[in-house]
Amino acid sequence: MKIRLGLAVAVVFAAFAHSLPVLAQFQAPTQEELQMTSEPKAPGASAIYLYREEVDDDTLHFESYYARIKVLTEKGKELATVNIPYSRRNYTITDIKARTIHPDGTIYPLDVKPSDLVEEKSKDFQVNKMVFTLPNVGVGSILEYRWQLRYDDQWDVPPDWDVQGPYFVRKSHYSFKPSRDIESVTDGNGNALGKLLYSSMLPPNEQVNLDKLSRKYTLEVADMPAIPNEDYMPPMNTLKAQVIFYYSAYFNKDEYWQHTGSKWSKEMNAFADESKGLKQAVSQLIAPTDSEEVKARKLYDAVMALDNTDFTREKSKAEMKSEHIKPAKDADDVWTHKSGSSDEIALLYLAMLRIAGIKSYAAVVSNRNRVVFNSYFMSMGQFDDVLVLATIDGKEIALDPGAKFSPFGELDWRHAMTAAMRQSDKGVEFSNTAGIPYKQAVTSRIADITIAKDGSVAGTVRISMAGPAALQWRHRAIRNDEDEVKKQFNEYLKGILPDGVQGDFDHFLALEDYHSQLMGIAKISGSLGTTTGKRVFLPGEFFDSHAKLPFVAEEKREMPVDMQYSEAVVDDVTYHLPDGFTVESAPPDAKIPWASYAALGTKSKVDKSTVVLTRTFIRGFSMLAAKDYPALRDFYQKVAAADQQQLVLEQAAVASAKN
Amino acid sequence: MKASCWWIALSAVVLLPEMSFAGIFGKKAPVPQWGLDAYKTKTPDYAHDANAVILYDEYVETIDAQGRTVEREREAIRILKPQGRGNTCAVGHDEDEKINYFRAWTIGADEKQYQAQDTDFVDVGDTDIPIMLSTYKVKVAHPPAIDVGAVVICESEEVMQPYIQEKDWQVQQGIPVVFEALEIDLPPGKAHFEAWHGAGSAKAVEVSPNHWRWEMRDVHPLDLRDIPSHPEWSALAMRMSVQWGDAAVDGKDNEWKAIGAWVTKLESGRPEPTPEIATRVQTLIAGAPDFYTKLSRITGSIQNEIRYFIVLRGIGGLQAHYAGDIYRNRYGDCKDKTTLLISMLQVAGIRAYYMPVDSRRGVVDPDDPSLLGNHMITAIEIPADVQDTRLQAVVKARDGKRYLIFDPTNERTPAGDLPAYEQGGYGLLAAGDASQVMQLPILTPDASGAERVGEFKLTADGLLTGSVETTRMGDEGGDVRQTLKQEDQKELHDGLERSLGQDIPGVSLIGFKYDEPKDLDKPVKLHYELSAQQYARQAGPLLLVRPRVVGSDVLPSDNKTRTVPIDLEATGHWHDSYDIALPEGYAVDEMPDPVNLEMDFASYHSSVTSKGKTLHYERDYKVKEVELPSGRAQDFRKLESTILTDEKSTVVLKRQ
Repeated sequence: MKIRLGLAVAVVFAAFAHSLPVLAQFQAPTQEELQMTSEPKAPGASAIYLYREEVDDDTLHFESYYARIKVLTEKGKELATVNIPYSRRNYTITDIKARTIHPDGTIYPLDVKPSDLVEEKSKDFQVNKMVFTLPNVGVGSILEYRWQLRYDDQWDVPPDWDVQGPYFVRKSHYSFKPSRDIESVTDGNGNALGKLLYSSMLPPNEQVNLDKLSRKYTLEVADMPAIPNEDYMPPMNTLKAQVIFYYSAYFNKDEYWQHTGSKWSKEMNAFADESKGLKQAVSQLIAPTDSEEVKARKLYDAVMALDNTDFTREKSKAEMKSEHIKPAKDADDVWTHKSGSSDEIALLYLAMLRIAGIKSYAAVVSNRNRVVFNSYFMSMGQFDDVLVLATIDGKEIALDPGAKFSPFGELDWRHAMTAAMRQSDKGVEFSNTAGIPYKQAVTSRIADITIAKDGSVAGTVRISMAGPAALQWRHRAIRNDEDEVKKQFNEYLKGILPDGVQGDFDHFLALEDYHSQLMGIAKISGSLGTTTGKRVFLPGEFFDSHAKLPFVAEEKREMPVDMQYSEAVVDDVTYHLPDGFTVESAPPDAKIPWASYAALGTKSKVDKSTVVLTRTFIRGFSMLAAKDYPALRDFYQKVAAADQQQLVLEQAAVASAKN
Repeated sequence: MKASCWWIALSAVVLLPEMSFAGIFGKKAPVPQWGLDAYKTKTPDYAHDANAVILYDEYVETIDAQGRTVEREREAIRILKPQGRGNTCAVGHDEDEKINYFRAWTIGADEKQYQAQDTDFVDVGDTDIPIMLSTYKVKVAHPPAIDVGAVVICESEEVMQPYIQEKDWQVQQGIPVVFEALEIDLPPGKAHFEAWHGAGSAKAVEVSPNHWRWEMRDVHPLDLRDIPSHPEWSALAMRMSVQWGDAAVDGKDNEWKAIGAWVTKLESGRPEPTPEIATRVQTLIAGAPDFYTKLSRITGSIQNEIRYFIVLRGIGGLQAHYAGDIYRNRYGDCKDKTTLLISMLQVAGIRAYYMPVDSRRGVVDPDDPSLLGNHMITAIEIPADVQDTRLQAVVKARDGKRYLIFDPTNERTPAGDLPAYEQGGYGLLAAGDASQVMQLPILTPDASGAERVGEFKLTADGLLTGSVETTRMGDEGGDVRQTLKQEDQKELHDGLERSLGQDIPGVSLIGFKYDEPKDLDKPVKLHYELSAQQYARQAGPLLLVRPRVVGSDVLPSDNKTRTVPIDLEATGHWHDSYDIALPEGYAVDEMPDPVNLEMDFASYHSSVTSKGKTLHYERDYKVKEVELPSGRAQDFRKLESTILTDEKSTVVLKRQ
């Protein structure tokens, strides 16, 4: 489905007399709806929405919801139970009506009182779920229900219309009547939000309409497909069809981002302001004769050594009070406390770089695992973590001091190849961070294995990692003790070693030394080969020999492929042969290129008593458009086939008899 | 969170993700003396590998003359590792219970003391499961300064559900316990009886008149994380149950009988048939020629027409709705489905009874009479004159009556059969005075399993094409039916492709079709076609072929010393037969030897033969038990290693 993105300024009119809320009435189903067993536009669907309606009214302070659902398979019956989460302190749910209609037209009304259940409750907030389940639901049933959510008069709640969801929708209708006194709408701080805007991500033929007389914004959508469900999908938050309304102080998105960005930048600068204490600290950490890079690295190491509470734990108010410390209000406090959140530490680093005379800016990124940034959606909530952009020897580099143990100049993969809002010479602007080159994300797996005549093996495995893989293990080591990390490493080994071979983790090297490659060393034993009367067969691809490669099986693709980061995996496996065996056949050397995207190369080197098998897998991309999927699948299928090669050993007596 | 449809739980230390705090019982008070004493407890050597250690955990159950229990718990937990920070105290409560107070403190690693405030408690509802309506909540304490070296100290008091007259004490936890105790303070003249499950026990001391105390020290944790093919944690962990109500009678059989009588009374009247139920049953059984047909039409109607939806609301966690309401709404949980089944069978003149069980085999222990369990199934009395081989899941009661054990919640297992996860466990026949605990049957291998027949063609470049017909019967067929119910067409396609990809990397699923007969006792068939490039690997003049093309029968195993039993999952019979047409110009050079392994609990036979230009692989695998004692680990390893080796075995073809 093609989606068109737009942002519009909603037109606000003077208040008109308003009418009482009108609830969507239950509709008599058509014969086609009663008898249908599938939806040609959603083949295989377990259920579809025949109709969905959401009416939002900020003049009367309510939202009403109405749905008519056709159950097509047993799985579709799960829609018979309706859960409505809501904030108990601000809203009430009323007027719940529901009924089931059988294919023969018989109607079964809901006659059990819905249950208002606590989901989470504290002194400060309470989230409840209103739950009801429809009676007498079977395959072929039509489920029909409606409810109203009401909120206090002092609240104005512009709606988010989730036009696309997990089920196909034949027809939907949305309407929104904004506050009749829009000029008095304010945010929580009393700032005026007197303009109404909306962002829409809709199919090309659909648009939000305004009825000037009733002041209603409406949207009619037909045949909306379900959100695809595929492996390796990017976050769908801004990619699905939706409309979001805003009461805003601004006329358009550019104005919004300009003002919001400016405010953000001031906050960054205020937190990263220099202080006497910081100046003194910087002067002790660096020497005037240090180059810019040396200064930047020294300061980086200094802030990296602080307690990053996003990886350990944030002190409670009671502890801070007991220790006579206050929440950090600026970088100086972070340095004094020797502790801070990722963002606070990043801003401390920014402050120190500036004191050291290195041109530096703050940037805030959308974390790739959570959100795909879209400037049409006017929310700073799209941004997550703070980076520092430093110009060293005339070249600007992105630094990630908030990502504990991230080496100088390398980004946590969630912060790479993603949108950023940044400070610059020209003010605040949008930009993108660079991707992680595969050369920065190399995993090297070395195995040295001695094979016995019966196919049993013993040896060692050394796995060294750089880039995101190393960072992930180092983060685990902060959040867990070393014993636990060892257990997790053993579980990881279980996933990459062949069936029948066990790994027993021995030790890590450089677990906390983020300047170096991380290495894990394990002993291995077990049964690797299969034997016949005169031969032993060993896998040509020792690592991942039983792992499933992605994309091999799935023929079609709708969404882009998101593989987080590019990487290279280099395997070097040495088999020491048993006495009396020779190599009858070794895996042939192979090269499988996929120009500009990926490559696999394998080589085998046979010596008298050893065989060395090397395999280099390079994936130079992290995101890929769906149109490139056939080529991607073709590549992975070839890799899967190449990885099936075997090493064949033959008993020497047999071999000499042949000669 | 609980997902049980019949529910009696054990309380335990909880490990929860970080969340925000709130609460109502944060009265300002210093750390009590018992907490200070517990704090001084040294971490024992055996606890050093644990994330946290319980230094002190004491329950005091005070029962009043009306049988209402007030439970006080005092607990102290030391955090030992960063990943142990989530250990804290929690109090579960339902709408018919009341927390009198709940206080929590921390003594930090630096010995500073903190008390949890209102904002440090949060109530978490039981709302995660979309097909459940539950009023149960857990109040969780998150006092300040929970970090490595800190000790969390909690004290709570709760008025318990008025109808529960037992305490199930979870003695063994996932973390070590240095000291724990249970007290019950009974009114004069009130009797109690205790029972233990797992390794270990303690004797009660009467600390004051009819006030009893049990103490345990140095209870090691039960950690099954690295143990392959292990039974359920709850089936192995040490616990104690103590009864003080009607079930406080001498002798375990008498205790079970009393518990069964209580369940009978609790559900009394619930199955009363309504005219609508009677009419429906008469329609269903009209013309049924025999007992089985009559029975299976009724069970089938419940399985097909009553949607599974759990309702847990106070005593509703144990007590079913009325049959008329269940039938009218066409939904219900396990006890509701059993109720409606009993009701419908009653109309048909067949007697049936409630049977509380636990879906985790081994949790219900005949030596530990209690209400502990998470599920309700049905025991259907078989008339003396009925002999029908289709009735397989049959047990005999002490009075000689035969009962068919049937689980109406499992919508895919036919009458006569029993889901594998229930086989070999125990259940309580709740039949008034005839109540008794019974072992659920373990069905013969031929009651469940699969047959895979494949025909393939191999070309000289290694390409394999062909088709497979899989026939699954019994419980295994039920599993497939469940998958067909839960997944749409795309999910089925992707799941099958993924499953084949584990056997044949690079496989392409060309097409597939399920044949699911309406009758649940008929096998489910799956036909699919596949293609796999370079399935056979070329090695010089050789072509290496794995004759076991698809399907794996291997269970996880390792070579480590074993102390816990081995869970074989299910009895069954699996048979594979594959023909591979060989490419022109190649002849068989070497084949694996036949495999013949016969053991008392399983058998495995496999052979590869060549006839003309066709390679034939055949294997036959039977499992006769559902669980083995730990002492049989060597035999289990031998079986699994034999299967694994056979599944990897290679036929060598040579270019002529």
